[in-house]
Amino acid sequence: MTQRIQIGAVFIIIHLSFGYVVYPNLIYMLTKTAHWEVIICQGLLQLILIWIYMKGLNYFPAQNVTDIFLKMGRWAAIIFLTPFAINLIALASLNIRIHTEVIISIFLPRTPYWAILILLFFISVYTALKGLGTILRSAIFIFLFVIPLVVLNIFSSVINFNIHNVTPGLNFPPKFLLDIKFFYLLGFSSFIFLGFITSKTKLIFRQLLAVWVIVTVLFLAIVYIPLFIFGQDTVVTLKNPFLEAMDSIDISWFSFNRQAIFFGVLLVGLVILTNSVLFWLIGTIMQKIYRWNSSNWIIAFSFIALLIALVVPNKSLLEKYFLWSSGAQALFMIIIPLALFIYGFWSNGGVRGHEKQ
Amino acid sequence: MKNNRLFQFIVVFLTVILLCGCWDIKDINKRTIPLVLGISKTNGGEYKVTLQIPVLKNESQVSKVVTGTGETITSALGKIRTNSENAIDYTQIRLIVVQNHLAHNQKEFTNIVKFLMGSEEIPSRSLMAITDENVEGVLSSINDKLGVHASSIYDFFNKGADWAPEIFSTPVWEVYRSLFSSTKDIAVPLIRSGRNTVLIFEGSDILKKGEIMDRLKPEEIQLIRVLQNKNEKGKIESLGFASIMVSNSSIRLKPSLNNDKPSLSSNLNIKINVLERNDGVTNKKIMEELERIIEERFFHILKRMQESHTDIFGFGQEFQQLISYNELKNWRDEYFPDLKVNFEVEVNME
Repeated sequence: MTQRIQIGAVFIIIHLSFGYVVYPNLIYMLTKTAHWEVIICQGLLQLILIWIYMKGLNYFPAQNVTDIFLKMGRWAAIIFLTPFAINLIALASLNIRIHTEVIISIFLPRTPYWAILILLFFISVYTALKGLGTILRSAIFIFLFVIPLVVLNIFSSVINFNIHNVTPGLNFPPKFLLDIKFFYLLGFSSFIFLGFITSKTKLIFRQLLAVWVIVTVLFLAIVYIPLFIFGQDTVVTLKNPFLEAMDSIDISWFSFNRQAIFFGVLLVGLVILTNSVLFWLIGTIMQKIYRWNSSNWIIAFSFIALLIALVVPNKSLLEKYFLWSSGAQALFMIIIPLALFIYGFWSNGGVRGHEKQ
Repeated sequence: MKNNRLFQFIVVFLTVILLCGCWDIKDINKRTIPLVLGISKTNGGEYKVTLQIPVLKNESQVSKVVTGTGETITSALGKIRTNSENAIDYTQIRLIVVQNHLAHNQKEFTNIVKFLMGSEEIPSRSLMAITDENVEGVLSSINDKLGVHASSIYDFFNKGADWAPEIFSTPVWEVYRSLFSSTKDIAVPLIRSGRNTVLIFEGSDILKKGEIMDRLKPEEIQLIRVLQNKNEKGKIESLGFASIMVSNSSIRLKPSLNNDKPSLSSNLNIKINVLERNDGVTNKKIMEELERIIEERFFHILKRMQESHTDIFGFGQEFQQLISYNELKNWRDEYFPDLKVNFEVEVNME
């Protein structure tokens, strides 16, 4: 049971980490009115994929995704999972770099970014090396200190709200579904890691549904806070709408005069855990496929990730690459559950058929 | 075992490197922290930036005023930084005063607001004000007043709830938002230096997308605040034969659309306390007179605003549900001039 709570915490933390930085900008570009529609559509799509994923995994009790793919054949594991792991490197490095840029602009304007990058990398790689148990335990710790800050940010921003800044209503037909950006958006809801933990804990779809509801509500809050404060016309002109929204809050009786600091602190917590999960994923996948110690893989790949994060020259390129990477991630999020489901259905269906006869 | 010890020692030693990781941190006593930023332009076309910096440990003077000029605001700020004795920290600026000749130029003013919003150092929650006087004069006038603090100029705008309900404080981000908004314009307070007090509030300039359209007097501005549903507790109104204080106010707006012609019915409820009255003046007379005054004032402002296509009340926002997003972009020019407002005031005694 505790492990399920921990997995839920990891799920929420990863989503928040991806959700805070580029996610709102994408939503504002996708639609001008009825932003909730996009978020709900993306969430439902994610939910369907999770359901397929769970079904597929349930065909193989006590096995994780790598085991199942290896069962399919070593070639399948190499074809499906190696690109996935390589994309994870890109995702991890770009994710950490984007967070670093935001952290710098909040409270360390004069510190060079490599110093912060190295610090964040060091902590997350260390956590990843310690293994899944450490990640799950630290997830609870980070969760307990991040969630109050998230809630504080949401509630303190209410003072600047103007409900009339948002145009309500429905977009029909939902044209955004065909937009390539919507596909990128799907990459922000990463649930693939769930399949790699299952060898120890069996996941229950109902509990995941509860976590999914929390995540969707948080996404709505992240998108709607800048909207309520600035309105659609202004929000598209801002580089980092959520940060600006936090910066606009001025509570004179509160002892901290800058709410954005809280935002910065919670980003640090989120990015460390998210990246340690990504590195751990790389480690487990590569270890099983290529039979080399997982710590070696983690160290080698995180070093590559650090190099990538260091050489990306500017923010606009950074966001472009990040979107590509999350697009690739979205592709894997469709392919892997479907492949598992089809393989499971095919192989198990055959077995059951034999038993009945 | 021995190897392990060495490893532990190295890890502990590494923390020493991390501990001095704050190599670029300047202690707070080594920083100069300006509170007010003034922006104007010299005759030669260069930007002139004025900073009001509190001086500690000095009885005779509470603050000093530093100026710098440059081709852009950033270069002017940079020059001040170069010439200053300490590191100047712009993150605590609370008020930005723009001189009128810059504020009346739409392009210049828009650029200034965009710069202030984009700047990572200057906080977007600092307040904005416009002055007709020389900015330097306004900022340095604090030094010959008695019993003031260095933060007095900022405190002027932050008296708290019902101490001075006329004063509008407009942060940078709201001005920035109004540059892009198609349904709501903004009022920026107008100040000048006073003879006995540090500042005098003269009213507000009404800005439409960064362009000054009109100037409103303090009592008119106050009505606008009421219509934007900000509680106007504490406002004192003189009716000639009596004075009253508003103790509570609330407004209900109801938009409707007939044949593409917008109309709005609004009910303003005001609760008042009578502070003083002439002999023989009844409550009824006071209430009727107040209702008449407020309605007259409102329709006067509305007419002016409709003529200049400026929606300072933000009425357009009420029509979000009735007019589509793309249509609402033309709110100011197509709908607002034809807007019919059914404005009713109801005054109650406390």
